[in-house]
Formats: sequence, C-alpha cells, structure tokens
Amino acid sequence: MIEKYASIVGEQEIDGIVKIAEKLKGISILNVNSTKAGGGVAEILNRMVPLMKDLGINVDWKVIRGDSEFFNVTKAFHNSLQNGAGNLTDEHFKIYDKWQEINSTEVPLDYDVMFIHDPQPAGLVKYRKNNTWIWRCHIDISNPYPPTWKFLSQYVSQYKSMIISVPSFGRDDLEIPQFIIPPSIDPLSVKNSQIHDVTVRRVLKKYDIKEDKPIITQVSRFDRAKDPIGVIKAFKLTRNHVDSQLVYVGSPASDDPEGEIVYNEVVKEVDGEKDIHLLMLPPGSDLEINAFQRASSLVMQKSIKEGFGLTVSEALWKERPVIGGNTGGIPLQVIHGVTGYLVDSIEGASHYMTFLLKNKDYGSLLGSRGKEHVRQNFLITRELRDYLLTVLYSMGKSL
Amino acid sequence: MDLYSYGKGIPFVFQGAYYPKKYSKLKATNLAQLADGITKADKYSIFYHMFHPIFTSHLVAEDLPNDFAVWIDQALGLRELAEKVADLSGAEPKTAEDVRKDLFNTINSYKSVREGLREFVFVSCYPIVYDTGKRASTLAEFLDTLATVDSRSVVWHFVSKRILGMSSKNDFSMWLEENFGLKDISYKLSSIDPQTYTNEEKLREDLIKNLEEELL
Repeated sequence: MIEKYASIVGEQEIDGIVKIAEKLKGISILNVNSTKAGGGVAEILNRMVPLMKDLGINVDWKVIRGDSEFFNVTKAFHNSLQNGAGNLTDEHFKIYDKWQEINSTEVPLDYDVMFIHDPQPAGLVKYRKNNTWIWRCHIDISNPYPPTWKFLSQYVSQYKSMIISVPSFGRDDLEIPQFIIPPSIDPLSVKNSQIHDVTVRRVLKKYDIKEDKPIITQVSRFDRAKDPIGVIKAFKLTRNHVDSQLVYVGSPASDDPEGEIVYNEVVKEVDGEKDIHLLMLPPGSDLEINAFQRASSLVMQKSIKEGFGLTVSEALWKERPVIGGNTGGIPLQVIHGVTGYLVDSIEGASHYMTFLLKNKDYGSLLGSRGKEHVRQNFLITRELRDYLLTVLYSMGKSL
Repeated sequence: MDLYSYGKGIPFVFQGAYYPKKYSKLKATNLAQLADGITKADKYSIFYHMFHPIFTSHLVAEDLPNDFAVWIDQALGLRELAEKVADLSGAEPKTAEDVRKDLFNTINSYKSVREGLREFVFVSCYPIVYDTGKRASTLAEFLDTLATVDSRSVVWHFVSKRILGMSSKNDFSMWLEENFGLKDISYKLSSIDPQTYTNEEKLREDLIKNLEEELL
C-alpha cells in the first residue's frame, strides 16, 4: 500500500518512512476521536490508520460515545476555542467530564501510545496509565474563550506532548512540547487522484455549468468564516472585466443551525445571477469536488477565519492557482505570488481573480509551483512520517 | 589522484536527519521584537530559519534565502534590510551562535517602528539523525555516493552539524583531510557558503562540481 506513493514522493521518502516504522514495531498505538465519518479528522484517519497497519505498526482507532447533550457541549467547546467567545458554564463542563468517565470504561486506555484527536476526548487523559499520551489538536486554539481553555488546559497539560497544525496556533501557557505538524491530503483518494476529462465534463453537464466559460470555484461550508458573501461580491466585481462563472460548492450542515441562515443570505446576495452556481452536494461527493477543482481556472478559499483550509492543497495539487484569505493555515499553502495570492479584502480578491483570468499562463505557473509545494509538504506521507517521528521522540527512542 | 586508495582506512558513514518542528513561544510583530527574539531563540531555531530553507520543501522567496529576510521584506516592507539579512554569511567556521550575533547586529542597527502585516513566529526543531546505510572508503565511492545519497544526508554533513556546533567544519572536508590529506579540496569545499542556497540539489551539484575539478 505504502509503495503506491513511491511514484509521487520518491522511493527515498518511502524508504525513510519504512525505517522509522521499523523502530516502532512492537509498540501499540490507539487513535481516539469523536466520529468515524465526516470531517477532516475522520477523513485522514480513514487513510492514515491502514497505512500505519501496512507498515507493520500495531495501530487501532476507536471513537468515543456521547449523547446529543455531550456533542452540543463539545460543539460549543469547538466554537468557543476557535472564536474566542462563548457562554459555557460549570454545568457544561460537568457534562463533558461525565462522558469522559463513561468513555474511560469503554475505550481501552492501555496502549503504549494514546493518540487523542481534538478536544472531544481530551479529558480521557485523566484516566491514563503509565503510558505515552499525545494530544493532536486540529483547530486554532491561539485565541480561545478563556473559561473553556482554562478547563481544557488542565487536561492538555497532563499529556506528554501535543501537536498543532500551524506555528501561530501555539500556546505560551503550556509546558509540554508543542510539535508543529500541518495536516495533509491523500493524492490517491477519490477527491485528489487524476480523473479523465470526460468525467470533468460529465459533472459540469450534470450541474448545468458551461464548459466554455472560465470557472472560479470555492469549496466550503455556508459559514461566515468562509466569507461566501465576500466571494460573491468579489466575483461580481470581476465580472465587470472578464466574462466568467462562479461555482460555490457547499454541503448541507444539519448540525449547524447557522448554516441555513448563511445560505439564505448568500442566495439573496446572488439575486438570481445566472453565472453564479450555488451547489449543495451531499457529504462524500468527492468525485464531484475533484471535477469542479480541475475544471476551474482558479480556486478561492477566501476565509476570514480558518483552521488549516485543506481545500487549498486540494486545488494546488490539481495545479490550480489559489486566492486565499490571509488566515490560519492558508499562508502556509498559498505563498503570495508563488503559488497564488493572499488577500484581506473583497477588492483584493477581485483584483487577483481578474488578473488570473486574464493571465492564464501565469496562473498555470503558479499552479505547477503549487503542486510541487503540496508534493513536498502537504501529502499524507509527510504527515505519516511526522506522526511516527513524534511517537519516537515522545517515547524517548532514536532512529 | 588515486581514486581507489583507502587512505588511512577510515570509511565515511553517511547519515541523514529529519528536523521535526516545535513551537518556541517566541513571536515578533516589529523589528525590535524580532531582534529580541533572535537573542532568546535556541540554536535550533536560528538554524531552522536561516539554513533549513536550503531544502526546497521550505519555501522562501527565490531572492531571499532565509525566513527572517522574507518576513522583513514582506511583513515590514523593509527591502534594504531584507537584502542585508539575505546575504549574511553562513560560511565556515560560523555556528548558529555566530550567525545569531550577525543577525542581531544587522537588525539592531536598523531603526524602524513599523508594525508587521503579520507576526513572525519563531519555530524550533530537533534533528533526528539516522544512518542511510551508505559508506564510502575510497574517493571513487565517495563521489558516487555523494551524487546519489538522500539529500538530507548532504545537508546534515555539510551544513547542520557545523551550524549546530557539533563539528568545527563540514564532515566532507574533515574526512578528505584526515583520511587522504587533501587540504586543498577540503579548503575549497569549506569555502562554499550554504546560507544562500534554497535548493539542496544545487548544493549537491556545487559540491560535486568542486570535487570533480580537483579529483578527475
């Protein structure tokens, strides 16, 4: 399985991963998160765990249990950690602790290495044995709502080490080592692998999108942090200069009441404009997303608040230049003027949209650089290697 | 030159290194804070921002070969200072401590109160060294292996160990001198300044070119 990646990242890279994995043979690792499907964490674990097994590592993956009350609390946790605001009370913290205790009796906690993902199961560390616990934080915790962080950090500080995605997400009030490991995409997944042009054309036809007019795409939830209104406004400005069409691909978010409100605001902003296509695709529409990204002249990720924004790497991998918001992990992927453009305003976004639509050769150059940048930094093999090195380090082992 | 001699019989053991990154808790939003951070950062952080960009995976602007220069240019808009920082020497016998002093003096002598468009976050790293399994006992084997070994090995022996204070000069020069008494070649390699490289293969190419001129 791992050898399939050799043609993409090179045999030396794969040999290196195999050698590191050999040092971890005989060590058991358990990944714990809160969902088996949906969301970036589950997506990467679904690919990463089989790869680790293929390398001969004794690795497993368990999902914690909780009722709707617990998941409402953890959703509030998530929002308050990322947005710096919230209204969590002691009652919420008690619900969180209650489910940590329940899960501590159901999740085996005696693996040599416990790899805990995100805040939902972080409190399990309270029940740790004499083994190595690593917390993998996938969200931005640099400016959290203080009461939530105060509560969570009492658990985080009990870990041997933690992992953040972006340097600026680091915490100054923690003593444990904070490793920086950006997330990754899988180049062999349905969403990112090469597909035939006929499939791209079929998908465009299915959604009534013209082939012969330049396409700008943003793949994002209908969430204010992704600035869908800003994308539409920027596109309208660009349309004054270049005839083009915008495809905004989102998915229904039944667990996010605000999603529908934002969607309705976006529909109002579109105001019947025929060249703006708002698409609601069901979760798992990976082939369609692949096709839209490949059909695009450029891809947007105009977020005003972002965790990492892996849709950027997805687009760059397909050699499409990206215009991204200057936030979170986007500047790690969009190097201004090298792989795309970073913007802080609607006007800035429109400026670079117009520039790239008028200068397609230059866009291709940015795209090809972007693909190489992703190949070197944001593919699953690099994240796998970094995880293995972190385990090695945390267990005091050497290569 | 006898390319097939074993010299004093000391083989060259090719190692390589990974550099996993760590958050250092140091940040800067202006020049004074950057200078202060440079005095406080550990040597791994100085290495990471000044020399790790030798790897193409560590993307910097093509004309500004280190993270400090890029930030000074792009976040502070101080092009002239960025160019000075870009051209700081990292040649032998400098270590991270010497580079730190040069960096501090260069930045501290420039007066600006401008606030950056984004912050500079100091990143540290910890080298994890591994054996590539490659060995060279003769100059012929050394040339052949240097041309094909993992580029992480080239950077580890030629740059990282010396900058991190683990040796006084690069391992290649040391071996050529100790095992074969080749002082001229050793000196020639030592005079290559790695700080201005942004491509590990270009560094390898230049090392081979210099060796080829002397050995073949």
